[in-house]
Amino acid sequence: MVDAPLIGCYRPDDVLAWGPDGPRSASEFLSEAVNLADILPDRPTVLNLLTSRYEFLVGFAAAMLRRQVTLLPQSRAPETLRRIAVDHKNCYCLTDRGEPVHDIPAVVLPAERGSSRGAWNIPQIPLQQHVAIAFTSGSTGHPTPNLKTWDALVSVARATARRLGLKAARVQGMVATVPHQHMFGLEASVMLPMQQGLTMHAGRPLFPEDIRVALTKSPERSLLVSTPLHLRTCLLAGVKLPPIGMILSATSPLTPDLAREAEQRFHAPVHEIFGFAEAGSVASRRTVTDGDWRMLEGVALVRNGVHGSVQAPYLPCPVPIPDRISVSGRATFRVLGRVEDQVNIAGHRASLGDLTRQLLEVEGVHDGVFILPDGKEGSSSRLMALVVAPGKTQEDIQHALRQRLNPVFLPRPLLLLPRLPRNETGKLPREALRQVMARWKNESSNDV
Amino acid sequence: MKSPQLAPFELEIAKLIVQALKLKADPSSIEPEAVLFGDGLGLDSIDALELSLAIAQTYGYQLKSSDPEIKTTFSSLRALARAIELHRTK
Repeated sequence: MVDAPLIGCYRPDDVLAWGPDGPRSASEFLSEAVNLADILPDRPTVLNLLTSRYEFLVGFAAAMLRRQVTLLPQSRAPETLRRIAVDHKNCYCLTDRGEPVHDIPAVVLPAERGSSRGAWNIPQIPLQQHVAIAFTSGSTGHPTPNLKTWDALVSVARATARRLGLKAARVQGMVATVPHQHMFGLEASVMLPMQQGLTMHAGRPLFPEDIRVALTKSPERSLLVSTPLHLRTCLLAGVKLPPIGMILSATSPLTPDLAREAEQRFHAPVHEIFGFAEAGSVASRRTVTDGDWRMLEGVALVRNGVHGSVQAPYLPCPVPIPDRISVSGRATFRVLGRVEDQVNIAGHRASLGDLTRQLLEVEGVHDGVFILPDGKEGSSSRLMALVVAPGKTQEDIQHALRQRLNPVFLPRPLLLLPRLPRNETGKLPREALRQVMARWKNESSNDV
Repeated sequence: MKSPQLAPFELEIAKLIVQALKLKADPSSIEPEAVLFGDGLGLDSIDALELSLAIAQTYGYQLKSSDPEIKTTFSSLRALARAIELHRTK
């Protein structure tokens, strides 16, 4: 097999997506993608910033038809986009806001509504074609590119669908609360539905009531692609969801208690995906019954002490797993904890070293460090930063960081200090940092 | 810093925001007309979600993004307090 169809088993009139503008059939989608491909600029890479999941898909498909690579930035922070644009000089962007993104040429959507009368001809995409680049925060302070082939995306979508048993469960629709520019979002909320012939909701519901409304209008027994944060909020807010076929959660670990409660209340199995931008989704588990992660079909686990790597036919080389693991079987493992320096805040991974480097680049900052407060690796815990910046206010520094970082990494609190507790070798001993934090906690509890 | 004038219910909502989002701010110091998200208090969509939960639990009001006035609702402390007063069921 050298190529794979752009979309899965839809008939021309099947609804591929629905949103505020009504339903879009598979044939309308194909005609929109082909029409857009005709007018895209002749450039190798594209920043697809489209808000609607459906429009993102049209843009992604059009770019593939033109053999262009879609760039998936970690966030929309202006500095992040600027850095990517510097590295990909000939890129352009697809946007729906009409706002200029630095000096990058823009194509503004929505494009013309497609016709359903065109010839029904599903394009084939070569498996070896490079279709996307997912960026991770690298150790150099520069976004690290992770190149994805069509083979990688299609293989993961097929393996995930088989593992979840979407066909047997008769799942026909999908609603997702995750962003589609994120690797898990691209795989689970764009590739999975389009390869499985599901009806996709074009929006991205945030509040429990939004999720309820989207599911109510979706085909019965849809797949809900979400995160522990959204699931927990739905449970605690007491919202009554219509019948769901299945829940797929990722981005941060789901506790067995939360998974059990979600299964009972929403009458649907809750599955979790384990993955990371460098390799994509690699394993899954049904949280209430499985403590261990089971590798997806086609992905092999290579063990090296408490570290491991994954191998797959579509990955050019073995990719290290960013967590410490213990291997429990030929294709199963348990996660022991994060690798030092790696943090996961609301589903976004970053290295504290990289965040610190970005902090130090802020004008007026003489010294500084990002830290993860102890024992707070919960659903919405935040990072903390200690900063030395004479003459600057907290607001000055927060404002500068907002230009550079995904907002989930903005420090809360940011403490301004006359100096950091560095030892004689210039290092910041953990104990000294702990003392600074303890002092701050005492003082702030007196204040309020 | 001089304290802004908050109506009693606005102060109650200010306390809810500080508590729900674990902010280290004095509730009575939140400017009633200042923007809550972006550069103001610096809140983001995760905060919006946490805040919506606290509001649903305390006042029985389920926020909806599709509400035409949702942008106004979250624009400031004053607007949020007004919306909760209008829609609360408990």
